[in-house]
Amino acid sequence: MYRETGIVNTPALSTQDDASLLAMIQRGDEYAMASLFDRYSKVVYSVALRVLRDPAAAEDVLQEVFMQMWRSPGGFVATRGSLGGWLAVVSRNRSIDTLRRKRPTECVEDMALASNYNLANEAERELMVERARGVIDQLPMEQRKTLEMAFFDGLTHSEIAEMTGDPLGTVKTRIRSGLSTLRKAFTA
Amino acid sequence: MNTTGHIERDDLVLFAMQLLPKEDAATIRAHVESCPECLHELAEVQGDLAVYAHTVEMQAPPASARERFLKQVAQEKKVIPINTAAEPELPVRSFDGRSSLTEEDLPQRGFAGKVLPWVGWALAAGMAVTAGNFYMQRTALQGSIAEQKDQIAQLTTDAATAREVMATITDPSALRVTLTKAQTAPVPQARATYVADKGVLIFQANNMPTLEPAKVYELWLIPANGSSPIPAGTFQPDQRGYASIMMPPLPKGVQAKAFGVTIENVGGSQTPTLPIIMVGA
Repeated sequence: MYRETGIVNTPALSTQDDASLLAMIQRGDEYAMASLFDRYSKVVYSVALRVLRDPAAAEDVLQEVFMQMWRSPGGFVATRGSLGGWLAVVSRNRSIDTLRRKRPTECVEDMALASNYNLANEAERELMVERARGVIDQLPMEQRKTLEMAFFDGLTHSEIAEMTGDPLGTVKTRIRSGLSTLRKAFTA
Repeated sequence: MNTTGHIERDDLVLFAMQLLPKEDAATIRAHVESCPECLHELAEVQGDLAVYAHTVEMQAPPASARERFLKQVAQEKKVIPINTAAEPELPVRSFDGRSSLTEEDLPQRGFAGKVLPWVGWALAAGMAVTAGNFYMQRTALQGSIAEQKDQIAQLTTDAATAREVMATITDPSALRVTLTKAQTAPVPQARATYVADKGVLIFQANNMPTLEPAKVYELWLIPANGSSPIPAGTFQPDQRGYASIMMPPLPKGVQAKAFGVTIENVGGSQTPTLPIIMVGA
């Protein structure tokens, strides 16, 4: 653990929920910041690395995302453990911005996110990841590939249509259907 | 927009992924801000994307990334505002029609009252000198950080190259050709590269015959000090007779007298089963 608090009943930082840690960060608690970094840096880095395929650039995105949290923790909301999901999407979007070499296009405060999972809980997160991977593996190859090209490679539907030779409508439907299948699997 | 006056889900998904042209994105943003239904659906889509993002192959960031981040956090320490009690306002009195206080209205200043203002100036001067020192230190630290960043970038590049080399060596689809003297029948051969101090071993074999289904080849490190052979991994060749073992877990510092290969049951063995079919010293 990072420090001795001297208070017997104070829960360890690593077990505190995201909202408590964010509140501590708001008060300038560096240990709370380190704790959230340890909890979510892996997913933020992995997503950035998948998009950018460059460890140095992915590390820059990692720093950028968490420094933003340190500077403006109020912009991050942690309801029902959705902070992890939020960070994953922010990491993807920042990485795509880096790919396109442009300034960040969104403000985290603008992004609402519905999450049915407590991603702060490592066991629950692992379970969700395994299940999601299983669903994605079962998608038809074209659907899986199209979703991947849109989300991880940041290609627009027009660019995907041009590359694959598929009609625009088909590309849009594949992206939407892939996500729908994922949602159905989790709400079934 | 669909017939019910809401945004089509296809477009909401593309909007959430920031894949729409600026004009289309602006239209959807304007609609979503005033439409609770579409806002809710957008949140659901973002939730779906969050789940999908988690399907990526997880890789821990380098330990140096954590150090770098925490240093940056320490450098940008937050100043927490303290709610100070409001200073009591001086009573607004009117003396003989005057709207403000004069020097005469104020209590007489004693010794402390005369000296304290000078103490304030002295403190200010001291703080200015300290701030100057801090500035110098900060400049020096920035230089040091820039240097470290360069080193990290170099190390990252080296690591990427090493990964590339490893990926090429272990890629099952790679074309592997063993050149021998012309008109010589291919014979099984293997190469072990071993660094005893680090306990690192790379083993590659070519032209290996296929084994029965329940059998595997096992590589052995035969120590120079005469102790028992150490198992260094099992392998089965691919269709072209190629196999490799990359950095099996081995104790560090064991000098090798030779390396040998035996045939064992699937799962490997802790002691070699004779005969040793390949050996090299």
